[in-house]
Order: sequence, then C-alpha cells, then structure tokens
Amino acid sequence: MRLFTPNLEVKKKVLDLHMVEKVKYCYQCSRCTEHCPVSQLDSRYDPRVIVMQGLLGLSHMILQPEKQFDLWACQTCDMCNELCPNDIVLTDIFTILKNQSMKMGLAPEAYQSQAKMVMQTGQAIPLQDAIARRREKMALPTLPLPDVGEIQKILKATQFDKKIGYEEGKK
Amino acid sequence: MTSTEEFLLFEGCLIAQRLPYLEKSARLVFEKLGLKPKDAPFGCCPDPIGIQCSDYTSWLSLGARNLTIAEQEGKNIVSLCNGCTQTLTVANYELKHSESKRKKINKILKEVGREFKGTINVSHFLTYLLEEVGVDAIKEKVTKPLTGLKVACHSGCHYMRPSEIMQTEEDHESPKNLRKIVASTGASIVDYDEEHLCCGYAIMNADQDVSLRRLQKKLDSAINAGADVMCLICPSCFSQIDNNQRNLKKKFEKEYNIPVLFLSEILALAMGFSFDELELKMHLQKPKIIQDKFEGGAA
Repeated sequence: MRLFTPNLEVKKKVLDLHMVEKVKYCYQCSRCTEHCPVSQLDSRYDPRVIVMQGLLGLSHMILQPEKQFDLWACQTCDMCNELCPNDIVLTDIFTILKNQSMKMGLAPEAYQSQAKMVMQTGQAIPLQDAIARRREKMALPTLPLPDVGEIQKILKATQFDKKIGYEEGKK
Repeated sequence: MTSTEEFLLFEGCLIAQRLPYLEKSARLVFEKLGLKPKDAPFGCCPDPIGIQCSDYTSWLSLGARNLTIAEQEGKNIVSLCNGCTQTLTVANYELKHSESKRKKINKILKEVGREFKGTINVSHFLTYLLEEVGVDAIKEKVTKPLTGLKVACHSGCHYMRPSEIMQTEEDHESPKNLRKIVASTGASIVDYDEEHLCCGYAIMNADQDVSLRRLQKKLDSAINAGADVMCLICPSCFSQIDNNQRNLKKKFEKEYNIPVLFLSEILALAMGFSFDELELKMHLQKPKIIQDKFEGGAA
C-alpha cells in the first residue's frame, strides 16, 4: 500500500533551494510558527507544516481549494526567515507553492485580479481620471506612462498570461 | 554638488495613483533639502507579494526591466514605498549575485532589447534621508518643531526584511532608522511592543478577519503606550491603518481614531508647511491634533 504520492517536481524545486551552498534541512523546531504574526491569530496557517509538506513533496495536502487560507495567509513579512536557526528561507518555499497554486487557479480572487491588471495595463493600480485631475490640482507632475506593449511582451515570454489564466479582452 | 542629489523617484502605483497627497509632501520635503528627483516611465515594480506569489520569474523580469531603465539614465532609484523598494532591491541583489538568474532574465529581457548590467542602487527614501542627507541637514530645515507630539513609529516589514538583502543596518526586531528621522522634528518617540510587527495589510486579500485582528493588536499596543499619531513609510501600511480603523469600529464596537502621518508629512509639517498645503484633510483619520496643537487651532 502506498501511504502517499509525493509531487516530485515540487519536492525537487524545494530541495534545490536548500542545496545552494550546503544542505539545509528543516528539523521542525517550530520557531517560525511560534513567532509568526499570523499563526498567533489563526492556527490554520502554520509555516512549519508547509515547509514539511514542501520538502517531502506532499504539496497535494495544501494545494486544495479548501486550504486556500492555509497557504495564502502568509503575507511575506519575512519574520520566519530571520528567525530560522537553520537559515532556511521559508518564503522561497511558499513562493514555489503559491506559484503552483496560482497555476491551478486556487489563488484568492484578489491575487488573480491583480495579476490580470498588471498583464493588461503594466501596473497593479492604473491611473483614474479623478486622480489625474487631483494630481493636476495639487500641481503634481504628469508621470511618464510605462510602455505596456513592452511589459506584455516580457510577460508573454515568461508565460505569465497562461499561468494566471489571462485571456485578452476578458477581466 | 554631489551626484547623489539627483535620483529617479519611484513613487509606486499606490502613492501616485491613489494617495497623491503623500507624494506631494515628499516632493515638498525633497525640494526643501535641495534634492532633485526625476521621473521615469517605470512599470509596476511589481508587488513583492502579489506578483511574486503569482509567478516568480515574471516578477523578477519586470523588476529587472525597471532597473534597466535607471541603468540607462545612469541614476540610482529612490522609492517612496516599502513594497517597491523591496522588489527592486531584491531583484537587483539576486541578479547581481546569481549568474544563472541573470542569464535567464537577460534572455527574457533581450526580447525587448534590454540587458541588466547591475550598475545602479536602490534605496527607500528613509534610508536615503538618513545616509545621503543626514539628520543634521534635516534639523537645519526644521522651523516649526513638533515638540510634545507623541509618535509611534512603524517601519513596516518590507523596509527591513530580509535583513541580509535589504541591508538597512536595522535590528529587525528593534528598528531605529525611522525613529532617528522623526526625532529630528522635535517630536517624542513612544516605545510600544508591536513596533516591529506587521500591520496586517497583506492578509486582507486572503482573510479580512485575521487582517483586522492583526491591525487591532498593533494599534492597541501603540495607543496604550500613549501615542498621539502613528508615523510610517509605506503606502500599503498607510492604507491599512488609515482606512481600516472604521472597520475595526464596526467589528469590535470600539472606537479607533489615531491619525497616521507619512514620514514626509511629518517632516513637511516641521519644515513649516501647513495642514492645508499638505491636504491632510484627505486622511480618513483627521490629524486634528496638528491643527489644535501646532497651528493655533486654526482650520
């Protein structure tokens, strides 16, 4: 009987992060969770568990619609990275898992719409007419606009559009 | 004249496109200090949380693209936003230190005729003021000291962490940089337990309840320590703390009304600019204490 089916692709990516200079392995001391400003408020979010799942390739345990909070409640405040006694950069592991989650369409709606906005306009928060008028009234300069075509070309080269499920002309 | 007086200003989309009054105060302060910010057609920084979590390679590529714009101009970047500063600093660091990442990203940038060279630096405007301008030069410009104003400083996570890369010379559990500049205005700094901890802004997209409880912990700590105002250096923290106090009231049936001042606003006030010039009425939590205590109650 197989107890579990590891996702070898995720496991390899996570392990690669730990073998840059020397092998660093999480010994589950839980210092990250103890000091996490989110875990203190809601125990569903537990960085120690996510690191274990990542290292063992058990990503299916967290890449599920009902586990959205458990992964995305991390706000990348980087406190855990500072405190890990084994110098593991936990947020790099979370980024791998979140990128996977985004590809599967499991990311919170706000993250998906922000990604689509950057794809569409080159900015997360584009200028509105009302703000443009306010800027003028305050004697603030008109800022040069980014080259959206160039940004989109880069994002197509990285396949960002496919990864976030973006279709042109659709929100 | 040293070349550091000229830099490219990275306002960030939240300040430029939603909170222009914060940009106004920064530009007034820069002018007073004889600095020469220039604008450039930067795109999204992009957001170190949202876009990095969406796709790391795309995030690094767009960050690198912005860096190449500054490289072409031969000028350093100074940012008004913690998030933009972190993205651009981390991208700059990764691409300077990792040959494999640099190769990969430059292959992508080649498609639009760009190449990352690693010739410029990025700083947050707080670090820039501290290191390039200096506390003494700021003090010289203070004409209306904010004596007696009790300030709780909030540097925000992405200003100082990850410490190995951000290199702000901060003890990330006891940040001092913001305190040093705020103290130059004559204001008093209050000690509070939650100073180094997060405001909760970034959890909002995943869960409003936890985000508000994080904010409440932070504010309770500052208010109990006797703070009149909060002072901060990040537009995301500003949005969370200024906008969501009314949601705290709805949720916890407890009144919260502590004003929030951006570092450049507090500096501009001390340098003689008025409540009206800075459009402080645009804040949701009106900094009435400024009018009452420092402008003779005039409105």
